[in-house]
This record gives sequence, C-alpha cells and structure tokens, in this order.
Amino acid sequence: MDLYEYQARELLEEQGIATPRAIFAQNSHEVASAADEIGYPCVIKAQVKTGHRGQAGGIKLASNRDDAILTSEQILPMSIHGHKCSGVLVAGAKNVLHEYYVSISVDRASRDFDVLATANGGTEVEVIAKEHPEAVKRLHIGALEDFDLAAATEMAASIGFYHADVDQAAQILLKMWRAFKENDATLVEINPLAKVGDPEDESSKTLCALDAKISLDDNAAFRHDGWERFKDPIQTDPYEQQAREHGLHYVHLNGQVGVIGNGAGLVMSSLDAVSGAGEEQGTGVKPANFLDIGGGASAEVMSRSLSIVLSDPQVLSVMVNIYGGITRCDLVAEGILQALQTLNSAKPIVIRFDGNAAQEGLSTISQANNPRLHVAKTMEEAAQTAASLAAQFSPSSSWPSKENR
Amino acid sequence: MPLFIDAQAPVIVQGMTGHQGMTHTARMLAAGTPIVAGVNPRKAGSSVAFTSADGGEVDIPVFADCQQAKDATGARASVVFVPPRFAKAAMIEAIQAKIELIVVITEGIPVADTAYCVALAQRHGVRIIGPNCPGLITLPNEQNGAGTNLGIIPDKIVSSGPLGLVSKSGTLTYQLMGELADIGFTACLGVGGDPIVGTTLLEALQSFEEDENTKACILIGEIGGDAEQEAARWAKEHMSKPIVAYIAGFTAPEGRQMGHAGAIVSGGKGTAQAKQDALEAVGIRVGKTPGQTAEIMREVLAGAAR
Repeated sequence: MDLYEYQARELLEEQGIATPRAIFAQNSHEVASAADEIGYPCVIKAQVKTGHRGQAGGIKLASNRDDAILTSEQILPMSIHGHKCSGVLVAGAKNVLHEYYVSISVDRASRDFDVLATANGGTEVEVIAKEHPEAVKRLHIGALEDFDLAAATEMAASIGFYHADVDQAAQILLKMWRAFKENDATLVEINPLAKVGDPEDESSKTLCALDAKISLDDNAAFRHDGWERFKDPIQTDPYEQQAREHGLHYVHLNGQVGVIGNGAGLVMSSLDAVSGAGEEQGTGVKPANFLDIGGGASAEVMSRSLSIVLSDPQVLSVMVNIYGGITRCDLVAEGILQALQTLNSAKPIVIRFDGNAAQEGLSTISQANNPRLHVAKTMEEAAQTAASLAAQFSPSSSWPSKENR
Repeated sequence: MPLFIDAQAPVIVQGMTGHQGMTHTARMLAAGTPIVAGVNPRKAGSSVAFTSADGGEVDIPVFADCQQAKDATGARASVVFVPPRFAKAAMIEAIQAKIELIVVITEGIPVADTAYCVALAQRHGVRIIGPNCPGLITLPNEQNGAGTNLGIIPDKIVSSGPLGLVSKSGTLTYQLMGELADIGFTACLGVGGDPIVGTTLLEALQSFEEDENTKACILIGEIGGDAEQEAARWAKEHMSKPIVAYIAGFTAPEGRQMGHAGAIVSGGKGTAQAKQDALEAVGIRVGKTPGQTAEIMREVLAGAAR
C-alpha cells in the first residue's frame, strides 16, 4: 500500500526526522485557515499516490490568502495520471540551498534492503542513475544485520553530504531505517532531503525532508491494526471495494470482457489472451477486470465473483478460466448457475474448464441448457470467443474506446 | 544426483493439523510422498490417521517442534502450511533443525520475515522454496527413483519425461504441465509469487542444467522484479539446454498488484515486455499464450532430435 505524502510525513516525524510544518486540507476553507496558520509564502501540494506532481501542476506556491484559495481550487479537483486528488498539503515554504535524494527499499534481486542516495536530489533518481551513475551511492543492509550509526555515517560521507551535514545525514538515514523496519515498509524515500536555511547564517542551515514517499507491506497489515489509520479517504472503486470485502483479488480495468480465473498467473495470462484476441479481431476489445477466485474456491465464492463482474456495466461478456488443481470445476460450475439464478443478465459467459472435475463441471453447464453459456476447449479459444461476443454485444461493431487502450 | 531432493527423503508437514495441512497431507500421502510427521506444539504426542498410497491406514505422529520431529523420524524436508503470522517462527524452527529443504506454501507472509528466513537458511546451508508457491513435484526416473510431491501440485497431470519446469505461478504451472503431459517432466517447481523467494528462477535453472535427465526447460514468469532478466543473463553464459519461456501480465496496469504480492509494475520496472525482451535477447523464445509456448517447446524438441 502506498501512502499519501501527508501520511508518509507522519511516519518520518514519529522517528524525529525534521519536516516543514504542514497541514492537510480538503477544501478551500480548510486551505485558507491552514495557510493563515502556516504563514506566507506557503506551498500547496496535491495529495495523490503518484509521482511527477510538480510537472502536472499539482504543486504551487501561494503568496497570500487569496492566492492560496485560488490555487487550491485549481488543484483540489485535479486528477494526476488518473489519480484523483484526495486533498492538499499546505506546507511552509523553505529556502532550499541544496537537494539530496535518499531511499531505503526492499531489494528483490539481492533479497535484502537497499539504501540508495545521491547528492543530486530533487529529480528522478532513475534519471540521475542513467546519466550520472557514479553520483548514485548504494549500500545493502543484510536481512540478518542491522544498520547502525557507524554504517550510516559511512554511507552519509560516501553520498557526498557537505562536511558539516554528515552527522545530521547519518542520523536521518538511521531514523529512516527505523521507520522502514518498524512500519514494515517496502519503500521509504525522501526526495528531496533538502538543506534549508539562510545562506548568510550558518547556524540556520539544517536538513529537512521536503517530500516523503512510503509504501507499506500489505502482508504485514495484521501486525499494524490493518493500517487503519492510513485508510484512503478517497472513495475507492465500488467493484474493488465489494471484492475486497469478500477477500477476492480484483483489479478494475477499462475494457469490456470480465475475466475470472483461479490463480494470479492464470488470470493475468487470461487478460493477455483477451487483449490479444481483441487486437487480432480488430475490435480493440480489452479485459474489464482481473479477478482471482484463489485456490479451492467454493460454489459461493464463484457465484459472488460472477455477480460482482456481471454488475459492472462496462462488462459485455465474461471469460471464466479454471484449471482445477485444488479447485473443483464442478463446484465452479454450480457457482456460475447459482449466480445466474439470482441475476438477470443477458451477458454471454464463456467457460473453460480443465483439470480437477472438469468433465463433471462441463456436464453441469451443458445440462443447464442456457444459451448464454458457451464452452471453450482451450483458454485461447475462450479468450477469442469472449472477445468476439463482447464486440457483438456492443451496439457498434468497432469499439470506440481508443483512449482506453 | 537427485533433482532438488531425493524421493525417499522423509517429509514433515508444519501446520499439518490445520484445514489446508490436512487436505494436502492426505493428497501428498496418496501420491506416495513419504510423510513421517506433523508439527504442532499444541497437539504434540497425538497422531492423525491418513490413507497411504497403497490404500492402507497410516498414523502420522505430531511433534512439538521440528527438532523433535527430525530426531524421531530423520526428516529431511518440510512442507509449511502455517498461517502468515506464525510462518517466520515456523521457518526459523525448520532452519535451526537443519531440515534440508523447506517448501513454504503459505501466502501472505510479510516480506521482511521472508528476507530474514531466506538469509538465515543460506547461512545454514538450507534451501527454502517459496513462499506463496505450489511447491515441487519430481517424477519417477532412474536417478530420482519414485519421485516425490511436496506441496499442492496435482500429481495426476503428468508422467516422467525430459522437461524441467520452473514457474512463478501455480495454475500456469498446471496449465503447461497439462499442455505437455504427453512429453513429460523430470520436475516442476513453483518458486512463488512473492517479491523475495528462497529459490529463484535462476537457481532452478541451475539445478535443471546439472540434472542429466532434464533435456529442456520451461520458464514461466510474470510481471514484477527482474528475476526473469537475471535468469536470462545467467542462461546466456551457463545453460546448455534449450529454454522456452512464457510471461504473464502484458496487460497489467502500472502500480497495481495483480494477485501475487510480487506481481506489480512500479516506476516502469518489472514489465512483461522488458522480461520478454531480455529473454529474447539471449535467444530464448517466448510464447504469446501458454498453448503457443507448448507448441514452441515441441518444435524445439523436434529440432533437437533432428
């Protein structure tokens, strides 16, 4: 789970990392009083779970109250890269002398943790890594080891923090590591970690986290009260909401074929097959969702899954792709019929069963004698059929959603 | 040398008395896996009756911990079904008892716990497979003897043959096993769908390269991380046997986790396209669908036989 900046800041502050004073606000009234409290000039920052906010116009400086209100009225309704703005952070503006980048993340390849830092902060670290690889310092923290002050100091020195900043930077690295570990984070990133203050007054200069990005490990939610305090205030997709309530892995996409299968890999593969079929058939038909019923699903789970998918008006046909390992195809078949008894849907459903109790499942389907149910021998055939049925079901033969591709 | 583990190696099941544990212990025993004990501190001293491969009844004793189970039975492998919050302790216990091979089926283990256990296992010379994986099946042949089934992979799909299969996904493993059932396999290994796993795609290829019965490999990848790229780089230098690959998740949107904890494209990294490109750059053919992947493997085998 990715956090908003205002949430990520909380976790840094809990460790004692300095951040500019800031207040989260969700409407222009709140913004006005927040800005008055913070003082001018202040920065109004869109709270979205995506990068490149600045380039998209999501971060602006406000020099007075009217300016703050006007700016927030522009930013609050924004969607940045498809992410709806959940509010703005009104933060004190700082005089930035220098910008560093520091992050700690899970390193999948070396199976440990990775501290990444550069003295050329402020922009995308990937860009710096490409253009000036020598400027990016990397240090691994072994999964059995800890990161201590000595290691943090060495790291800070090697990053190229200015001499006077090394000790402070080492403390920040250490605190970031604590934030990472204690919160079961997969990423803690400060970009920029800025040196701020009055250029003429040495004693005013200090390191400050001007932005924060933190991702938490969903698998660790059980030991953090389910991350209750980081619940997204933005209304989530209703289908994703429903699926989550029933413990199903569901991702809403923007195509026309609902896809249900067992196992994440098989469902992803089914999405690709639908997409490929739409391309081949020249209709541009795409998958409408990812839904994994998991291993050993009951008839109820299948029935509920199909109900969620069929209730989506975007869905014009459904592909059910089951390779029965533990999952029994006969139970899946029962689930499909159960769902159809209660739902009044004319949408065609293409079924592909293989493996455990596939024959029994297919005979249950054929006995139902329902013209909406189509059976396919292979998953490739199922994808082709589902894609072409979706195209026929639509009023126009050529699918008009080019912007969705 | 047997592939991964020899078929006679005695196996314990951690979390045997739970629902998943009971179901799959019964299945594995019926498939002929030599399961000798279960582990559950609260049920130590009891035993559970199962039906063995020959249809007779077999009592499987339950021990308080892995060390006791190992001392009493000589166990060399463990299959772990314990829930995520207890999985770290279960893995540590098995590692400290020096169980050689630990197959972790459990889905939903925090990545920090897995990282810790994988590092600890390496330090003790123990191999973890998974977590969040379907496990390992080896098929009967001269070296492996009877073959063994550690985990939840259905055993009736395939017979012995020259193929090795390694996959990040369970059902795609079964799918390809089914597609190539007539050719057959030496072993099929699901490495798991988590960001950090105990045995990587690369390490599985290494084992298949060393195994003389394996003549060609199927590699099934999916979005997230760059284990496929690593495997490709290694294969270019070290793999003498042909590999045919399949990658799932071309249509997955950026930043969305697709079922598996590790299946996520983030910051433009871990895309299916990047994996396909890396594999093709070293001469590994990548099928568009599982069916086409199987067809390519048939072509490759026919070409090699010529």
